[in-house]
Amino acid sequence: MKRNTVLILAFITSICLLTVGCAPKPKMYYWGDYSRSLYNCKKDPSEENLLKHKQTLENIIETSKTMSLRIPPGVCAELGYIYFKQNNEKLALQYFDMEESIYPESKILMTRYKQAIALRQKKDTPNKTEADIKPNKINESSDSSIKK
Amino acid sequence: MNRRNKLATSCIFLLAAIILVVCGCAPKMVTKGQTYPLMYEELPVSILILPPINESTAAEAKEYYSTTIEEPLSYWGYYVLPFELTSELLKMEGIYDTELYRNVPLAKFREYFGADAVLFTTIKKWNLTYVVLAANLTVSIDCELKSTKTDKTLWKYNGTVVVDLSGGSSGSGIAGLIAKAIVTAAQSAAADYVPHARTANFRALRALPFGKYHNLFMKDQEFKFVNKNQP
Repeated sequence: MKRNTVLILAFITSICLLTVGCAPKPKMYYWGDYSRSLYNCKKDPSEENLLKHKQTLENIIETSKTMSLRIPPGVCAELGYIYFKQNNEKLALQYFDMEESIYPESKILMTRYKQAIALRQKKDTPNKTEADIKPNKINESSDSSIKK
Repeated sequence: MNRRNKLATSCIFLLAAIILVVCGCAPKMVTKGQTYPLMYEELPVSILILPPINESTAAEAKEYYSTTIEEPLSYWGYYVLPFELTSELLKMEGIYDTELYRNVPLAKFREYFGADAVLFTTIKKWNLTYVVLAANLTVSIDCELKSTKTDKTLWKYNGTVVVDLSGGSSGSGIAGLIAKAIVTAAQSAAADYVPHARTANFRALRALPFGKYHNLFMKDQEFKFVNKNQP
């Protein structure tokens, strides 16, 4: 009878270990419709899909705030990048700063984009391409021409 | 008494076997701490996702797959450098499409993006297989995390998902078989790989130690998973 109890205990323990080891799925961020709206943009980069993706990003930021969750990594940066492409430097800077304040790890990347904005404003040419963010070479053999 | 004991024991073994089969977990379990000690030594925070290397026959897999990895990786507590922004820079350098980034010294990625580690992903399979009246969808992804400090591999795993797309039973006889064939065809045409790629990611990441933004950061060394890398 005692052996039986030991066996049952071992069995229960193994189930617990399996369950714990198999499924750590925490709820720490609100990602909304991100994956799908980005996928739609890749599949068909129409104005409509791009606008929807922008709204998704805004929704993630708003909802995260109301749920008092940390905004997921990269969301502010991506929204800033959309404004950057639309030549809206003011909002781009605001969101790049926001990303950096939430995630200090993004500093180097954000600085790169902010420098590009500064360069753009200095030149005072509002229709510059993203060529501005191109810093020193990462790969010596690469072609530096940019077509957008 | 003895017979009852024997019966109970065999019942337990049977139950355990069923659970193992259902769970899909092979009994070979290892801990995260033992398998990936470098992860706990280096404690990378920021991860740069490199464009996936596509070994599958599906050309579009590369673009689509990249939309599925950021989210799960963030849930593991890492700062994932925004893929849209980093891939733009890589495209400008002309090393996005050609997979030339494999030759770039990893330290460059630290200097350039501030990445503690880079994630190399390889799409091994992304396809449909037809078997008479049914279809299987397979998405298989290899992941490898490398340090930008030491160039060493910190973590490595594979996630595979096989989905049976056949439409279940819909009556018997010839009419039922035809109906089933139609359902299979319709479902394969509409087969959206992306959700399955996400599942494959979650499967692969199961073995990844948690990062700084997760509340189990540095507390999961004893967590167990199935080791597929060393058979």
